[in-house]
Amino acid sequence: MSSETETVPELHFAAGLPGFPDARRFALVYWGDDTDSAFSILTSLEQDGLEFLVVPPVMFFPLYAPEIDDATVERLGIETADDALLLVIVNVPGDDPSKATANLLAPIVVNRHTREAVQAVLADGEYEIHAPLLQD
Amino acid sequence: VLVLTRRPNQSIVIGGGEIVVTVLEVRGDQIRLGIKAPRDVDVHRDEVWAELQKANRAAALTDRSAVGQLDRLRRERPPGPSSS
Repeated sequence: MSSETETVPELHFAAGLPGFPDARRFALVYWGDDTDSAFSILTSLEQDGLEFLVVPPVMFFPLYAPEIDDATVERLGIETADDALLLVIVNVPGDDPSKATANLLAPIVVNRHTREAVQAVLADGEYEIHAPLLQD
Repeated sequence: VLVLTRRPNQSIVIGGGEIVVTVLEVRGDQIRLGIKAPRDVDVHRDEVWAELQKANRAAALTDRSAVGQLDRLRRERPPGPSSS
C-alpha cells in the first residue's frame, strides 16, 4: 500500500455501482479537505473523472432509519451497527444547486473496518430516490 | 429467450444450481417468485434497477462548483424538515 491509500480512505464496491459496473474502487475525501464538512466526494480510482457527492444522511435526514437486508449485512461482514458507515449519493443540478436531491432509496453501506461497500436497495415504498436535500 | 412453463411450487435452476427461482403463488395477474441465489448475486426488480442506474448516472458530478454553491446554501438554510 502506498502512503496515499493510508491517508485517503479507499472504498471497494465488489459489485460496482449500479450504472457503473466497472467502477469498483473509490477514494472518499471530505469536501475542501475539511473534516467538519457535511459533504464528501467519492472519486473513482478507475474511471477518470467519475465522481459523486455523498453525505451522511443523518446530517440532513435525522429520521432516516433504513433497514439494510441481511444479505448485504452478511456480505459486508457487518456485525454491529457501529461497523457500518452510511452514505447517500446527492444529485446536484449544475443550473440550480438548491434543487439537490439525495438518493434515500439506495444508500451506500460501508464496513468501516474493511472498507467494503455496497449500494443497497431498500424495500420499495419506504424512501425516495430523489429526496430534496434542502428545505424550501 | 428461453420459455418454460411452470406451476406453483415448481422451480427453474440457473447456472450450476446456484440460482433457483420458484413460482410460489399465482394470483390474478400477479405471480410471487422465490429466488435463492448466492449472497454476492444481486436480485432486483427490473424497474427499480433501471431507475437506480439512471439516478446514479444522473448524479455523476459534472461541475464541482455546484457543490461549492450547495455548501454555501446549506450554511445559510436550516437543514432537513424533521430536524431541530
